[in-house]
Amino acid sequence: MKEPSEPQADPSPPASPRMRGLVRNLLLLIVPVAIVWYLVTPIYNRLLLGGAQSLLHWTESPDVTNLLPRDSQAAYIQRRDFPPTKSLVHAFQLTDVHFHLILVATLFLAIPGIPWRQRLENLAWAIGVTVFFDILLVFLIVKSTYATGLGSWSAGHYGPFAQNAYGLLKHLLDLPFKLGLPFVLWAAFYLGDLRGDRPEPVVAAPRSTPLPRSRKKAR
Amino acid sequence: MTTPASEPTSGVGRFFRTNRREIRFLVLFALILGASFALISVNWVNDHVIEPFTGGIASASTGALNLLGQKVHQQGTLIQGPRFAVNIKNGCNGVEAMLIFLAAVLAFPAPWKSKLAGLALGIVAIQAINLIRVVALYLTGVYFPKVFNASHTVIWQTIVILASVLLWIYWANRLPRPAPPSESAA
Repeated sequence: MKEPSEPQADPSPPASPRMRGLVRNLLLLIVPVAIVWYLVTPIYNRLLLGGAQSLLHWTESPDVTNLLPRDSQAAYIQRRDFPPTKSLVHAFQLTDVHFHLILVATLFLAIPGIPWRQRLENLAWAIGVTVFFDILLVFLIVKSTYATGLGSWSAGHYGPFAQNAYGLLKHLLDLPFKLGLPFVLWAAFYLGDLRGDRPEPVVAAPRSTPLPRSRKKAR
Repeated sequence: MTTPASEPTSGVGRFFRTNRREIRFLVLFALILGASFALISVNWVNDHVIEPFTGGIASASTGALNLLGQKVHQQGTLIQGPRFAVNIKNGCNGVEAMLIFLAAVLAFPAPWKSKLAGLALGIVAIQAINLIRVVALYLTGVYFPKVFNASHTVIWQTIVILASVLLWIYWANRLPRPAPPSESAA
């Protein structure tokens, strides 16, 4: 039971213009963002393959894994210690790994009432986290392929615990956390704004729609 | 707001104190999401819950496609027509989006009545969107097969997850706002 002096919750629902502004911005931005994502995909693929390959080499002795682009959307896992005819052990879709960048960028750019500089700064942080996540996911795709996807070779080189651990980690990162990451990042930056938990900015630019606040004061 | 002398005043302590709602939400969200996905990856749960559920989606999609004049029939999770067939697998049954929505609703501080109402409406809405996705993917496969892969992996996954996030934001935005702390509470 609430104390008499406890502040009462405001029963009125938050103003809908904020929601309308967000939906409008999402609809306006999603196609341009998807086009930019499509255009930078070849560069991002190289970044991911290079980063994941470095991470793999860090865990291998000697270095035996090469990650080779197959086309603009997919990659091969190559083991140099396998016979040349069997060295390409697996292919996987790279675009399936990082299409969530479309969601990250759209959600961060669509938030209404935040100065563009602040939106871009927050987006840069979110993309930085996403890059690390994607490199880790490619690393786990390779490791789970080695642990569970190469038949008797996998069984001979990985124990049941390692097979289950790599399989579960890859499953968790490849579905729930890959799909949930844009939301998690967005919530980390803007959850307080959603419920009006934070104090109003000292200097707020007057706008036609109620504005959610950014993590830092609007400039 | 004054800081009690016993509370940590370091940068890390201040960060956790200032952002404790966000941190609590994100930790709870990750725990619920991880646990629910670990649960559905258990073979028994997959065979006795997820597969029949996916079969139900296939059945509804088959009905919708037949209403649209496509002469399709269903076999388990497979929808087969004269020109194309789609098999609804895990990842395409809307369960992932439902679990992300569920984790976000349960992790958010709100009355249980609001949570249950949000879950019921949100899950129905997500499944409605997923039904449109399956029907649209089948039609894409029949009439625009060249764009089926991109539509399957990028476009519709993005739309379904974005819809789930929007539903959650809409739900959280409709909750009563907490009152600002009174002067005496500061």
